[in-house]
Amino acid sequence: MIKLVDVTKKYDDLILLQDFNISFEKNKITCLFGPSGVGKTTIANIVAGIVPVDRGFVEGIDNSLFSYVFQEPRLLKWYNVYENIDFVLKDVYEPEKRVDTINSYLKMVELSQYKNYKIDALSGGMAQRVSLARAFAYPSHILIMDEPFKGLDIKLKNEMSSLFIKMWSLSQRTVIFITHDVEEAINLSHVIYTLKNRPVDIVDRIIVNNKEEIKNLLLNL
Amino acid sequence: MMNSILRNKNKLFIILFWIFIWEILSLIIAQEIYLPSPHAAFSSLINLLTSKDTYITIYYSTYRTLAGFFLSCLSGILLGIICGIYKPIYDLFNPLIIIMRTIPVMSIIIIAIIWFKDTNVPIFVAFLMCFPIIWTNTVSGIRSTDNKLLEMCEVYKIKKIRVISSVYLYSSLPYIQAGMVSALGIGWKVTSAAEVLSLPKYSIGRFLYDSKVYLEIPDLFAWTIIIVSLSFLFETLLKTVFSSGDKND
Repeated sequence: MIKLVDVTKKYDDLILLQDFNISFEKNKITCLFGPSGVGKTTIANIVAGIVPVDRGFVEGIDNSLFSYVFQEPRLLKWYNVYENIDFVLKDVYEPEKRVDTINSYLKMVELSQYKNYKIDALSGGMAQRVSLARAFAYPSHILIMDEPFKGLDIKLKNEMSSLFIKMWSLSQRTVIFITHDVEEAINLSHVIYTLKNRPVDIVDRIIVNNKEEIKNLLLNL
Repeated sequence: MMNSILRNKNKLFIILFWIFIWEILSLIIAQEIYLPSPHAAFSSLINLLTSKDTYITIYYSTYRTLAGFFLSCLSGILLGIICGIYKPIYDLFNPLIIIMRTIPVMSIIIIAIIWFKDTNVPIFVAFLMCFPIIWTNTVSGIRSTDNKLLEMCEVYKIKKIRVISSVYLYSSLPYIQAGMVSALGIGWKVTSAAEVLSLPKYSIGRFLYDSKVYLEIPDLFAWTIIIVSLSFLFETLLKTVFSSGDKND
């Protein structure tokens, strides 16, 4: 279990989190659902350790490795597809293992024949698939997905979603999934936190079992 | 193909036009000591190009310019990367570099003549003039690095040295390259200036000085044409290296 305990986070005068508590179950997909600007990304970044807290602490992340799928692909455009994944694996795997890992994940996201392509030559959906492959190829314990399918059309969004579920079931890890898309939240996660207000409050913690019922609940928020 | 021939034809025409203007001006002034005719300058140039000493001189002056240039590239890029990443180190070096940028070339040359052997004076001066340009460009390049990429590196716990070599360096490459091109041009100018005052045995500057002393103005023009051509040649070379690097990427 990963826990934020009594966490307070301010940006100048803006209090984003005040004595905030939340927990994420190991090897489950937990969704942070709420309007833009409520502080979902900040919560995830505190877990990942890239945003320091003003008070409180994070439990259960000792020696954890993180991977991240951002809203934008955040790839190095001077490297090709293969090199971009290799870039994050260099410090963790031996060369041989790297070759195998990269090739198998590129195959999973159906980009094997594009592995020598420069990033600029890829479409937005393809670049985001590279970013997804990079996140799963990296031996992380915790994977953060920050509105990763935003800006993709419905068809691509569905493709990416099923790709994500396929990869997650092959290599289960703790996932924090940030979205304000109802369908995405229900279809991809085990637990949904609905967030509101400033400083942020947890409105509800929903365990996803009856999808229709939850959908109505989220749409009426 | 046809296009490039046309373009070259155009360029040739433009050059011929300005030489023609030069010719007319020299005819109006009609005093070689003020403005020699293109004919006098070019025949003096041809004369120079038949002498072995000219090539030795070009060799040594080129060596000095490039030595100063490469020294400034090496130290400017290295220190620029460090200063671009670490603000306190930037604050420490910035005043020094502002001073370097504003000191008159002549002051540096005269101080260098006191400090160094004649042949090393131009190298030192070229270094001191080129260094701030390279440094400033490298710092701006490093600072232009996309924060989002750096955040990605932080999440994936990429070692700092690899963040520098794979992210910072690539992001700042266009800035560094532009800095190198302008530094090289300035390098040629200040090397010749420093040579005029320090007078190393084989140097274009010494010949410029001699032509002034003996009032051989066509020679002065001929040597100037040589410097301009060398500068142009090396600039083209540098740009070719850069653009072939871009293609390989």
